[in-house]
Amino acid sequence: MKSYAKRYPLAGRRWRQGDGWSVLLLAIVGSVAASAFGACPPTVADGANLVRDGLQLAWRPVIGGSPIAATAIPMARHFAIEVQVCSGATPSGATLAGLDATMPEHRHGMNYRPRIVALGDGRFRAEGMMFHMSGRWQLEFEVQSAKGSSRLFDDVRVR
Amino acid sequence: MTFGFAERIARLVFLGAGLALLSGGPAAAVPIEFTDEEIARIASHGPWPPDWRGDPGNRASGNPAAIWLGQSLFFDARLSANGRVSCAACHRPRSGFQDGRLTARGLARGTRNTPGLLNVRHQRWFGWDGGHDSLWSASLRPILDPREMGGSAARGARLLKSSPSLACHYREAFGKPPSADDPDFLPNLAKAIAAWQETLVSPPTPFDRFREALADKDAAAAASYPQAARRGLRHFLGRGQCATCHAGPLFSNGEFGDIGVPFFVRPAGVDPGRQGGIKRLLSSPYNLLGAYNDDATRGNAVGTRHLRPEHRNFGEFKVPTLRNLTLTAPYMHNGSLASLRDVVRHYSELDEDRLHSDGERILKPLMLSAGEIDDLVAFLETLSPPAPPQPPLPPPGALPCPARR
Repeated sequence: MKSYAKRYPLAGRRWRQGDGWSVLLLAIVGSVAASAFGACPPTVADGANLVRDGLQLAWRPVIGGSPIAATAIPMARHFAIEVQVCSGATPSGATLAGLDATMPEHRHGMNYRPRIVALGDGRFRAEGMMFHMSGRWQLEFEVQSAKGSSRLFDDVRVR
Repeated sequence: MTFGFAERIARLVFLGAGLALLSGGPAAAVPIEFTDEEIARIASHGPWPPDWRGDPGNRASGNPAAIWLGQSLFFDARLSANGRVSCAACHRPRSGFQDGRLTARGLARGTRNTPGLLNVRHQRWFGWDGGHDSLWSASLRPILDPREMGGSAARGARLLKSSPSLACHYREAFGKPPSADDPDFLPNLAKAIAAWQETLVSPPTPFDRFREALADKDAAAAASYPQAARRGLRHFLGRGQCATCHAGPLFSNGEFGDIGVPFFVRPAGVDPGRQGGIKRLLSSPYNLLGAYNDDATRGNAVGTRHLRPEHRNFGEFKVPTLRNLTLTAPYMHNGSLASLRDVVRHYSELDEDRLHSDGERILKPLMLSAGEIDDLVAFLETLSPPAPPQPPLPPPGALPCPARR
């Protein structure tokens, strides 16, 4: 039996590129939807802010193209996460290589595998997230930069 | 912290219990108060029925001709190989569209309990293993399965062509005559049957009225909700942690879990549950990633596109809705538990050795007292309507088709 950590490696290794047209379409739609999102450095409007290894990562959940508060993520419903990675006042040039979520107390993760689309200027969108149970979920972001790989964590409580 | 309204309700219930004593009724119980947090969590199980805007993957969704056709086909045994098994043979309207048997019995005996169909339009995955991602594809499988109805495109086309009314409604719904050679024919039959099943919505229950009374701060209306059900509701939300999975208006998160119900199948074999369901779904030409999904944006295929098969899926089965349970005994994927009391006892005496080694970690035996079991059963019973709902009538006969079948 694989260990819990091995069963939940970062989603980046499982990241599947979509076909060209769907990625292009998503990028266009994402660019429009995210037009108010993503200036560096991130602000409160960009969602929760995480800092590590000189990187600043902001994330916010999105449903139907509209951002919602992290505390308002509904249970058992698909949503997306928009991510901005900054290095000071400029986009960092780093890549969001993975995003996954687990329930540490339950010892399992999501039933769905998010797909990450790069939107440009250090912005990313992860599609296909779902928190299917109430309780504490731990988000794990893997960011690849010139300095190497960084992992940033944040907690969300779903009611 | 208690809520002022809850206190008023508690006083009312206490008064009611006192009156019951005076009149020789049941003994007074400790009044039940709900905290602000509990009231918010109770509110999350409604409103009923939830908003619903049709199935974008089914062009026949909401179409009166398709609903009429679907209802006719649902009750028509001529779709089956021996002409004696209709959808309704297992999905009986008076039983919440269930059959009361441990496992289904079509042309052969099945290995799983027949799921009820009330409120089926609100589901994300269909079948105990979620082997289907649309109601219409789930409706096609039993028609073709040799163990259930053993039908075929040719048999279906013959049936429709033999009936001017059925053929006419098919043309009205899909814009072309029925033909076994048309690759859309079988999916269209299933889409019509699904369109009818979408109309099967159960009425509000005593719980829904209590929930609304809490929301409206109507103490008088709330007072009619039984004390035992209130205590059971508190166990459901609190110690039992039932709402962790049995969430929302349907009392289900629509996903899958292993709760220690054996997955062995007689005479020999195992039911892989969700693991097999994912394989079946992804290999099906009728899944939402395929050509028969009528949603050109594929926006309804997010779940299928992002599925993550896991080792723990083996032996997982769908978290069922808790609505209308009084109509749909026996329970669990194999029908192994005869009554709601047996279901609550299952969780009370949960055998952790049966749980998947890398499955859910919060499942523990609840060790409930006899009174707590009674209370949980009383609560679950309030999630069903007092009387079985009548099947909806077919759309009015304003269609340009003959009404005779």
